[in-house]
Amino acid sequence: MIQMQRITKNYRLGELDVPVLKGIDLSIAPGEYVAIMGMSGSGKSTLMNIIGCLDRATSGNYTLNGVDLTTLDDDQLAYIRNQQIGFVFQQFNLLTRSTALENVMLPMVYGGLPLAQRRDRATEVLFKVGLGDRLLNRPSQLSGGQQQRVAIARALVNDPALILADEPTGALDQKTSQEVMGLLAELSQQGITIAIVTHEPDIAHQAQRIIYVQDGLVLNRSHNLVS
Amino acid sequence: MSIPSSNHAYSPSMIEVFGMAIDSLRSNRLRTGLTMLGMIIGIGAVITVTSVGRGAQKSVEQQIESLGSNVLTVMAGASSRGGISQGTGSASTLTWEDAKVVAEQVTMADAVSAYLQKVNTQVVYDSKNTTTTIIGTDLNYSKVKNIYPQQGQFFTQDELDAALSVAVLGSKVRDQLFSQENAIGLDIRIQGKRYRVVGVMESKGAGGIQDQDDSVYIPLSTMSAELVGNNALSGIAITGFVLSTQATDQLDAAQFQVSNLLRLRHDIYPPQADDFNIINQVNLISTLGTIISLFTVMVTAIAGISLVVGGIGIANIMLVSVVERTREIGIRKALGATRSAILSQFLVEAVVVSAIGGGIGVVFGIGVSVGASLALSIPLVISADSIVAGLALSVGIGVLAGVIPAQSAAKLDPIVALRSE
Ligand SMILES: Nc1ncnc2c1ncn2[C@@H]1O[C@H](COP(=O)(O)OP(=O)(O)O)[C@@H](O)[C@H]1O
Ligand SMILES: [Mg+2]
Repeated sequence: MIQMQRITKNYRLGELDVPVLKGIDLSIAPGEYVAIMGMSGSGKSTLMNIIGCLDRATSGNYTLNGVDLTTLDDDQLAYIRNQQIGFVFQQFNLLTRSTALENVMLPMVYGGLPLAQRRDRATEVLFKVGLGDRLLNRPSQLSGGQQQRVAIARALVNDPALILADEPTGALDQKTSQEVMGLLAELSQQGITIAIVTHEPDIAHQAQRIIYVQDGLVLNRSHNLVS
Repeated sequence: MSIPSSNHAYSPSMIEVFGMAIDSLRSNRLRTGLTMLGMIIGIGAVITVTSVGRGAQKSVEQQIESLGSNVLTVMAGASSRGGISQGTGSASTLTWEDAKVVAEQVTMADAVSAYLQKVNTQVVYDSKNTTTTIIGTDLNYSKVKNIYPQQGQFFTQDELDAALSVAVLGSKVRDQLFSQENAIGLDIRIQGKRYRVVGVMESKGAGGIQDQDDSVYIPLSTMSAELVGNNALSGIAITGFVLSTQATDQLDAAQFQVSNLLRLRHDIYPPQADDFNIINQVNLISTLGTIISLFTVMVTAIAGISLVVGGIGIANIMLVSVVERTREIGIRKALGATRSAILSQFLVEAVVVSAIGGGIGVVFGIGVSVGASLALSIPLVISADSIVAGLALSVGIGVLAGVIPAQSAAKLDPIVALRSE
């Protein structure tokens, strides 16, 4: 699913080129469920953004689903984000003025689905994440856990091959975290590839493999949790 | 996995973008309302100003038109015969014969009417009185000035020949002397002398050289008898005469002929000054018309400036809203919005806001114009071109004001946009 070789990322800070990723080698198999752990500032989010085509690597090779992404232009990356990838963010990142239904419909707007189909599909997915009775609520009228479930529904709605979740439970309490993790586990069982960044070991242990990032590099002591 | 080439990446259809724009505008009513306000006031002002300007112009034209746009007024001027100026009034430089010869010899003249005029004269009926202008004239006056009785009739040739004491009242004089009763057949007094009212003129409204409604018309012979004790017309001095031509474009030629004829009759050779003045209504109209249209252009320019200010206001609010909506743009991009999708969303929002604002502005402008035309009693002139221009202008300003903010929104890096807070 994902092959990365010697991925580097530098940020320009004024005159300085600050290296954040220093040569990441990473491979994730189709259908795999991985957790990425590491200290704050180690480069996990930067890595996730590159995996998710939100950002470009400074150098290195990245192949997603057999497609070499380094050669694609912005519109093609937009298409891949739309069709292949679902994002779940720590801060939910919902449109605050739109309803749950409208939020979930949004990826299909950019995917070119007709309105009626969008509404049906978004409703279906919201039912699936247990929010069938909250279709017309705005984010401010939902709890944190419910908002994150809307975000998951939005990530799912275009049937992506890959779901990327950057600290999805970071803003949630224990109980709602478990609800969200339960949803991700279900998706994994359906064969969707999932990568999740987390600080919490017991969250990470719900994945099949833990990848450790430290100071811009992937550590070798990758932790396989499936026997 | 198949990746479309970049120019085949999906961008929402125009209808789709339009719907998004409406949703987005509806979800932030305050911002939308403020943005529209500039447009409403700008377009409203442009429409109101042009409509009031044109209405005023039309009103002046109508009034002067009603006085006759084919009329020359020739008035006696300072006599300078023998090099001694005798001043106006003391001895008129025009005689009844001048008018008669003009009528006979000026080929461009359709009708000519001589008159004597006395201003500030008291007219009394019963216990009421008013101060007005007495005009002694002949039967042609009605035709030349295109003013006809609404009640009764103008005096007759017989009454003129016999120098009878009959009077035709201007509508304003009638209103001042008589309340409800029919004035026809009743007697009024002019300087103590009785006159029988035989007619009341239609109203023409104030305008031109003198207010025709604020006049009393009596036979020239009668007036002459009062003033000089001679009711035979031949030889009497007159205040002037009015002359009409068949068509407006004959007026200049008629003026030329009248001038030459009178100079000849009065032995005036350049560089000697004429002893008469000719007032040309067409010149009056065009002078007044020019002043009003200049004024209209000026005020429209001011309104245009307010429109530009409105446009800058829109650009400003759009720009602020891009900053405020950076996170939204980031979210949309993360979910697959292309650069052109964001660009068209913001552009369409700007255009929709200003078009709706412009539309409301048009309605608002029409409303104010109607009010102004009622308040100022001028004709209501709302031309399609100012409405079309107003709408086109608002959409144009929307595009102009929206382009830069839309471009900066579209250019945002998704990751930078998402990180913003
Ligand atoms: N846009 C940026 N410009 C400059 N430095 C950045 C930027 N984004 C992240 N960094 C830096 O890169 C490093 C890694 O950040 P990040 O990937 O967010 O870490 P993590 O998610 O593991 O906490 C941090 O030191 C951070 O300050
Ligand atoms: Mg992070």
